[in-house]
Amino acid sequence: MATSLEQYVNMVQTMSTSGNLTQLYDFINKSAEMLAKNASHLDNMFATLDVQQASLGILGILCVKYSHPNIPDLETTLVQTTEFFSKCNGEHVRFATDNYAELCQKFAQALIDRKMYARGIAPLIEAIQKIQLHPAQLTSIHGSLCQLCLLAKNMKPALRFLDIDITEISREGGRLDAKDYLLYYYYGGMIYTALKNYERALYFFEIAVTTPSVAVSHIMMEAYKKFTLVSLILHGKIILLPKYTPQVLQRYIRPLCQPYMSLAAVYSHNSLAELRSTVTEHTDVFNRDNNMGLVKQCMTSLIKKNIQRLTKTFLTLSLADMANRVQLSGPKEAEKYVLHMIEDGEIFATINQKDGMVRFHDNPEKYNSPNMLLEVDKEMQLCIQLDAKLREMDRDIAVNPQFVQKSSGTHEDDLPVTSKRCLSDNMLE
Amino acid sequence: MAAAATIDYQQLSLDLEKQELENGNSPCTATQYSQLLALYLLQCDLCNAKFLWKRIPQNVKQGCAELSNIWSIGQKMWLKDYTGTYEALQRDWSDDVKGIMTSLQDSVRDRALRLVRLAYSSIGAEDFATFVGMPVDKAIQAAQSEGWEVDLQSRIITPLKLEPPPAPTIMSEQHLSVLTDYVTFMEN
Amino acid sequence: MPLTGFFQAAAMEPMQVDVVEENHNVEEEQNYNVENPTIDLENYASQYIGLARLNRLLFIAEHCNALKIEALRMALNYTMKTSFNTSLYHLIHHKLVQATQGAARAGTNSSSNNLPDVAPVATVDTQWLEVTSKKAALKLEQLDTELKSYKSNSIKESVRRGHDDLGDHYLDCGDLSNALKCYSRARDYCTSPKSVVNMCLNVIKVSVYLQNWSHVQSYVNKAEVTPEPSDNNKDANQSISSRLKCAAGLADLATRKYKSAAKYFLQVNFDYCDFPELLSPSNVAVYGALCALATFDRKELQVNVISSSSFKQFLELEPQLRDIMSKFYDSKYASCLKLLSEIRDNLLLDMYVAPHVNTLYTQIRNRALCQYFSPYLSADMRKMAEAFNTTVAALEDELMQLILDGHIKARIDSHNKILYAKDADQRSTTFEKAILMGKEYQRRTKALILRSAVIKCQIHVKSPPREGLQGGEMSIAPASASSIVRN
Repeated sequence: MATSLEQYVNMVQTMSTSGNLTQLYDFINKSAEMLAKNASHLDNMFATLDVQQASLGILGILCVKYSHPNIPDLETTLVQTTEFFSKCNGEHVRFATDNYAELCQKFAQALIDRKMYARGIAPLIEAIQKIQLHPAQLTSIHGSLCQLCLLAKNMKPALRFLDIDITEISREGGRLDAKDYLLYYYYGGMIYTALKNYERALYFFEIAVTTPSVAVSHIMMEAYKKFTLVSLILHGKIILLPKYTPQVLQRYIRPLCQPYMSLAAVYSHNSLAELRSTVTEHTDVFNRDNNMGLVKQCMTSLIKKNIQRLTKTFLTLSLADMANRVQLSGPKEAEKYVLHMIEDGEIFATINQKDGMVRFHDNPEKYNSPNMLLEVDKEMQLCIQLDAKLREMDRDIAVNPQFVQKSSGTHEDDLPVTSKRCLSDNMLE
Repeated sequence: MAAAATIDYQQLSLDLEKQELENGNSPCTATQYSQLLALYLLQCDLCNAKFLWKRIPQNVKQGCAELSNIWSIGQKMWLKDYTGTYEALQRDWSDDVKGIMTSLQDSVRDRALRLVRLAYSSIGAEDFATFVGMPVDKAIQAAQSEGWEVDLQSRIITPLKLEPPPAPTIMSEQHLSVLTDYVTFMEN
Repeated sequence: MPLTGFFQAAAMEPMQVDVVEENHNVEEEQNYNVENPTIDLENYASQYIGLARLNRLLFIAEHCNALKIEALRMALNYTMKTSFNTSLYHLIHHKLVQATQGAARAGTNSSSNNLPDVAPVATVDTQWLEVTSKKAALKLEQLDTELKSYKSNSIKESVRRGHDDLGDHYLDCGDLSNALKCYSRARDYCTSPKSVVNMCLNVIKVSVYLQNWSHVQSYVNKAEVTPEPSDNNKDANQSISSRLKCAAGLADLATRKYKSAAKYFLQVNFDYCDFPELLSPSNVAVYGALCALATFDRKELQVNVISSSSFKQFLELEPQLRDIMSKFYDSKYASCLKLLSEIRDNLLLDMYVAPHVNTLYTQIRNRALCQYFSPYLSADMRKMAEAFNTTVAALEDELMQLILDGHIKARIDSHNKILYAKDADQRSTTFEKAILMGKEYQRRTKALILRSAVIKCQIHVKSPPREGLQGGEMSIAPASASSIVRN
C-alpha cells in the first residue's frame, strides 16, 4: 500500500516539475480510489508535497478528503483547504478546473452545514481569483461565495465580483451547469436588493429569468417573483423582458406566481388602498416566499410614484391636498414623504411651511455644466468600450473555422489545417 | 485637516473589513466592531451598518453596551428621525469612537442644513431646531449666522438658496479630440 | 300557473334560446333603466322595418320601464303582421305577460302608471301560430322544390335567386343562421358584378342582425372592390355605396373604432339614404356627429362636418345635435355639454350607440377641455370651471388626468387655481433621453454578451429531475434573505 502512495507522490513531483500537467491530471483522477483507501495517510502526504510546486497533487488529495461522507478531522482539512487556495499555483490548477470547482463547492457546503459561513468568504475570494483567466470570467465558485456572504450577512465582499459584468463562463470541464449559473444571478440579485441597489438587482434577476430554459426551475421562479417586485419598486410596472426570454416563463412560471401578478396589476391602478387590500389578501404567500419586505417597499414606492405623478401635473399644491390625493394620513405625513424624496433627489420641490404649500420645480439640471459633460463623457466611453467588445466578438466569430465552413460551404481547404486547429484552440481558451 | 481625517477613516474602515474577513469565524473585538459600525454610519452606509449589527455575535454585543448605543443612532438615522439621532448621539463615547462620533454629529447637522436649504422656502423655527438638533434660540442664532432671514414674530425662517458653485471650465484641445472620437464612433 | 309553465317550456326551444342569448350579450354589459325618455315610440318604430324594428323595440323594452309595455305590444303586433317568426312571437308574448303582471302589481300601489296598458294581454294566439307555422312550412317546401328544379336545369341565375328567396324566407322566420347560409351559397351562382354586390348586401344585413361585425366589415370590403356594373344607373350605385358606408360605420362603431366610424357615416349620401332594415337617416346623423366630436380635431371638424353640405342635411333631422355641433365649434362648451346631457337618455335607448355613450361623452368632454386651453399660456381655473359647468376641485381632477395622459401640456398652480401652459425644454429632454438610451444600450449589450457566453457553454435549464435538487438548495437562501429585505 505504502508503495502506491509513494508512487503518487513521486509521479506528482516529477510530472509537476516537467510540466506534464495534462497527463498528471489523468493520473490523479485515476488515483482517487487508491487515495480514498488510504485516508489515514493523506495528511502525511499533504505535508510531504509542496502546495505551490505540486498544486494538482494536493488538489487531488483534498478532493478525496471531502468526498468522505463524514470528513475526519474537519478543522485540519479546512485549514489545509484555506492554505491551498492562498498558495496553490493558478497555472497548474487550471488543468483541473472541474476538480477545483468541486473542491470549492464541497468546502462551501461543509461550512454551510456547520453554520461557519464567515469563514469561507476570504478563502473563496482567493479561490476565484486564482482560477479565473480574467476578472470577467464566471466560475461556479461565484455562486457559492454569494451564498456564504448572504448567510454570513456580510454582503460587501461579494461586490468586487458582482460589480464586474461577466463576458465569459468557465466550463469547468462541463461541470458548470444552469443551476450554478442561475444561483449566481439569483444570489447576486438578492445581495444587490439587500444593499438597495435595485437597478443592478433587477438586472441580475432579469438575467436569471431569461436563462435558456425548457423546464420550470424553482430558482427561476423565485427570481421571477423578486424580479416582479423590484421592477415595481424601481419602475412602477413590470418591465418588458427581451425577446429571447424562454417561453417557459410565460407559459408555466407566470401562472405559478399569481399573487405577484395580481399585485402588479393592482399597482397599476395607483390606488394605495387597493394595493393594501391585495397585499393583505396574499400576505401568507408573500411571507412564505420571504418577500414581505420587498412587498412593503412596493407600497412605499407607490406612494412615491403617486407624488411624482403630482409633480408632473402641479406647480403648487397644498400638503393637505397632497395627503388627500395620495391617500396619506395628513399634511405631516405628506411633508415627511416630500422631504425624503427631495433628499434622495427623486423630486424637485420646495416646501413652504408658512402657507403649507409645496412648489414643484422642473429638473434643475440643464445639461450645460461641465460636470454633466463629464457624466455624458463617461457614458459615451462605456458605450464605445462595449461596442469594441462586440466588434471583437464579431471578429472572433468571423474567423471561427466552423462558422467559416458553414457560411461559405466547403472552402475549408483554403486554410492550412494547422492554423485552423490553432484558431479553434484559441476560441476555446 | 478635515480632508486628512476623512481619508484616515476611509482607510480604517477598509482595514477593519479586511481584518474581519481574515478572522473568519472567530469574532473581532468589541472595539473593532464599534469602530466599523460608527464608520459605516459616518459614511451614511446604513445598509452595511445594519448587516454588521446583525452579524455581530450576541456575546460581543452583550459585553459592550456601547455597540448597542451606536446602533441606536443607526436606527434613528434609518428612520430619518433627526430628533432621535441627535438624542442618541448625546453620550459620553469611549476614546475608540469619540472622534468618529464628533465627525458623525457634524456630518448629520451638515446634511440637515443642506436639506433644509434645498427643501424649504420657509420653515418654522421649532422644526428647524429639530433638524439641527439645537434649542430653538440657538437654532435661530445659527440660522441668522447663515445669513437667513428670521421673522421673530411668526418664528418663520426663510433659508437662503445656495448659489451653484462656479463651474470649472474644461474646454480644451484635448476635449475637442474626444468629441472627434465620438463623432467617428457615431458615424460607424 | 300552468300557463306560465307552458311559456317557459316554449322558451326552451333551441331556436329561442339562441335569440335570447343574442340579446343578452348586449344587455349584460349595461344593465340600466332610462327614466325620462322623450321618444315618440310610434314615430321611432316607423323608421325601421323587419328585424331592425323588432330588435330596437325589444332593446327599448329592456332598458325603459316606462315604455316597456308599449314597445312590447308594438313588437308583438308587428311580428304577427309581417313575419313567420313564431319563436319571436313566443318570446315577446312571454315578456309582455311578465311586464303586464309586474305593472298590474305596481298599479295597485300607485295609479301613476299608464293605466290603459295594464289591460291584460290576450292569451297566446294559437290560431295564428298554427296557421303561420303551416304557411311557413308550406312556403319552405315550395321554395325548396323550386330550388331543386333550378339546380337540375342548372340555370345559374335562377339557382342564385332560389337561394336568395330561401334566405329571405328563413329571415322572415327568424332563422338567422340558415338565412346566412342560403345567402352565402348564392355566391357560387353569381354571374354579374351586380349579383355579387347583392349577395354581399344580403350577407351584411344578416350579419348586422347577428352582430358579427368582422363579417360585416369583410363583406363591405368585398362589395367595394367589385367593379361597378356599367349598365346600371347612377342612383342605384349611389344607394349601394351609401348602404355599404352605413354598414361599415356601424361595424366600426361597435368595435370602438370611432374615428373611422365617423368617416364612414360622413360619406353617406343623404339623398340615397333609405335603408329601413338597417338604420334611419337620423341614426346616421347621431352616430356620425358623436363620433366626429369625440375624435376629430378642430380643423377636421370644420372641413368634414361643419362645411359638409351633405352632412348638414342629416343634421337638420336632429336639431339638437346640430346645435351641439355648432356650440362645440364656437367654443360654447357649457351649453354644448348641457345639450349633450339632455339627449343622453334617448341615446341610451339606441341599441347601437348605447354601449358607447359613456366613452364618447368622456372623449368629447376631454377634447373640449383641451381646446379650451389650447390658445392660453395661463388660464384661471375658476373661469374654466364655470365654462364647463363644474367645480374647481372636479376640474382639477379632470385636468390632472389629462396632463398625465399627455393630452394637455400644462401644470396646475393649485394655490392660485391657475393652469399654466408648460413649455418643454427640448434640449434638456433630448439630453435626458439620450442618457437613458445610452444606459439602456449598455444594459442590453452586456446582457447579450453574457448570453453569447451562455450559449457557447450550452447552459440551459433542462430535464425535470434536477428540479428537486434545485428546490432543496433554494430553501437555504431565501431564509437568509428574509431579514435583508425588511425595512
